[in-house]
Amino acid sequence: MDGKRQHHSSFQQLEKLGEGTYATVFKGRNRQTGEFVALKEIHLDSEEGTPSTAIREISLMKELKHENIVALHDVIHTENKLMLVFEYMDGDLKKYMDNNGERGMLKPHIVKSFMWQLLQGIHFCHENRVLHRDLKPQNLLINNKLQLKLGDFGLARAFGIPVNTFSNEVVTLWYRAPDVLLGSRTYNTSIDIWSAGCIMAEMFSGRPLFPGTTNEDQTIRIFRIMGTPTERTWPGLSQFPEYKANWQMYATQPLRNILPQIDEKGIDLLQRMLQLRPELRISAAEALNHEWFAEFHQPAHPQHHPQQPMMHPHRGYQQHTVPSQNVYGNYQG
Amino acid sequence: MASTTYHSSADETFFVEDEAAQRMTMRDAGRMIARNKQEMIANELSRLAHDEYLEDIMKHMRHMEDETLPDANLIDMQREIQWFMRPYLIDFLIEAHAAFSLLPETLFLTVNLLDRYCSKRVVYKQHYQLVGCAALLIAAKYGDKKDRVPQINELNNMCCGLYDAGMFTQMEMHVLNTLDWNIGHPTVDFFTQLIVAEERDGREVEHMAAYICEIALYHRDFVSTKPSIMARASLALARAILSKPEVNDGEWDHTENVTLLTLSQHLHQPSVTLARKYSSAYYSKVSGKLADFLAQQAAISRRGPPSPPVEPTSLSTKTADIYSTPHKGLGAGPGVADGYMTPPITPDGNCFGHNQAMIKGYQAPPRCPVTPTPQPNHVQPYPQQQQQQPQHMAGASYFEGPTSHMAY
Repeated sequence: MDGKRQHHSSFQQLEKLGEGTYATVFKGRNRQTGEFVALKEIHLDSEEGTPSTAIREISLMKELKHENIVALHDVIHTENKLMLVFEYMDGDLKKYMDNNGERGMLKPHIVKSFMWQLLQGIHFCHENRVLHRDLKPQNLLINNKLQLKLGDFGLARAFGIPVNTFSNEVVTLWYRAPDVLLGSRTYNTSIDIWSAGCIMAEMFSGRPLFPGTTNEDQTIRIFRIMGTPTERTWPGLSQFPEYKANWQMYATQPLRNILPQIDEKGIDLLQRMLQLRPELRISAAEALNHEWFAEFHQPAHPQHHPQQPMMHPHRGYQQHTVPSQNVYGNYQG
Repeated sequence: MASTTYHSSADETFFVEDEAAQRMTMRDAGRMIARNKQEMIANELSRLAHDEYLEDIMKHMRHMEDETLPDANLIDMQREIQWFMRPYLIDFLIEAHAAFSLLPETLFLTVNLLDRYCSKRVVYKQHYQLVGCAALLIAAKYGDKKDRVPQINELNNMCCGLYDAGMFTQMEMHVLNTLDWNIGHPTVDFFTQLIVAEERDGREVEHMAAYICEIALYHRDFVSTKPSIMARASLALARAILSKPEVNDGEWDHTENVTLLTLSQHLHQPSVTLARKYSSAYYSKVSGKLADFLAQQAAISRRGPPSPPVEPTSLSTKTADIYSTPHKGLGAGPGVADGYMTPPITPDGNCFGHNQAMIKGYQAPPRCPVTPTPQPNHVQPYPQQQQQQPQHMAGASYFEGPTSHMAY
């Protein structure tokens, strides 16, 4: 993939990092360079051949080279398995919150840095017509430089314009957007933004915002906080497959009462990400321009205000998570 | 290849008239209102994605388009597979694609993967269909819902058990590795959808353009045509055929004009399989409409006054049967002259080499005809009339030609 093909013996397999639905992930070490990698082993079924998840994940990740997306270095094919060689990350956001948070709560400036990086990663996916469709703390990887990267593109797929019809069996329940819960199959980039909003609230509070148990429970938990929508507040609502005329009516709760940890600007951004109606949800590009992120927005002439690389591990903004241009600039270079 | 005999009843194919299913009950009407409402929401969503990301996405798509274009000149250098074999394989893929009800873009992606593979590897004649099947599998896995993806034994049945089941997964992996897992090719319908939304073209125009794009799949001339150009040209042609007003869609460059002209020359005697697919009401019966249009054009030109119609050259050239005209050679010369001297890379055996028996299996003479032959009692793609199509049918006899074709 990077020019020369690697052999699976080029990597020393170390401890198991995790087990997914269709793959096992190990820590590994490149025997030549000594560099750590993550090795994702995918079992190949002789009946089915290569799993569709692997085909999508590999082909999409090859298109998505960005500092907030885990880099895929290589694909190694052996007799009955496929091994994906990823850049090594020290852990995921879930573990990071468990280990470093105060009862799971992260410090506001850490949350802000993580949200900035998360939205950068999402924005890059969307402008390359890819939906991640499974954003959750377990799929956001963190290294000890406090860089955050999107991982696990097993559910991701390319979208078209106009939107195509998709499966609504996507995204882990707690992070699933209301329009998807209501049975929409024409969702779009806004599906990832809802998940990002849920993750932001969770980083501040240490607890998942909507920890539902079933589809209906999930829907009701969302309504209890965001208010039960009606045909008047959401035209077309009654046409959704999962619409119920007898939903319990809840009033909208002010988010600042539920999440007092978040400052006013942060609440404003969160409110825009957690819009029930997908068409009202803020886009990743707009979110990056939100004033909550003002400290990341570069002055017009960066050369007059040299950015100090901030390498302090607890500050966490090091030089290349701060954009070198404004958010519409070219990050690919 | 051509000696294979077929006899048929077209009724047994996958393309069945759906007139009866058209009748609408009250419940259907209710559903349709719901669907329309959902469609409005979807349109609103697309408009938003459109405004926000279109420019970035287009930049990426143009890049991907260049990265994933097959090279017809390299395919010319294949020793065993020849262009005259292509229509048989495309027919097979179109039948299989329909049989599994795959998404429209999956067909275009399949042919793109097939052609890119054939631009890079030597393909034996007896494996041509296998590569096609592997491409179909990959394309379906990339874009379609899981429960639609063909099972290998189903594909195997469609190939009359020509291959061992394990060969499909091996070829699949070989294609993936050869293409370096770059599957995200922007297909022609990605661009078509955009233009249709922009120009507010109707369903009929959309279907006619899709039909034209699928006709193009049969011909060498369009193997290396960019999907964005194909989308624009096929839509312009579709509007003209259906007497819809031209749209003002900006400048046309030389390549686009050439593509449009070449497309118009390939509309005659489309594959029977394909024409049947597009004869259904679901596709606005566009194959019949195209045949009528061509017949009309022919009649006009027979009457004399040479009023240049939409397709000025349609009557003079290239009316030959797609099944019997070897195209090879047309492009080989220029290809070599252009400096494509490097022979395609031979398969390195890395993926096939795990067991010797398998390799022998690949070289063994095929048990079935080499041409793609779908399950005999299931699919009957090449009715006899196709075989008997007289070569001299070229010229102004469309009246008989297409009508006899369409009579199923």
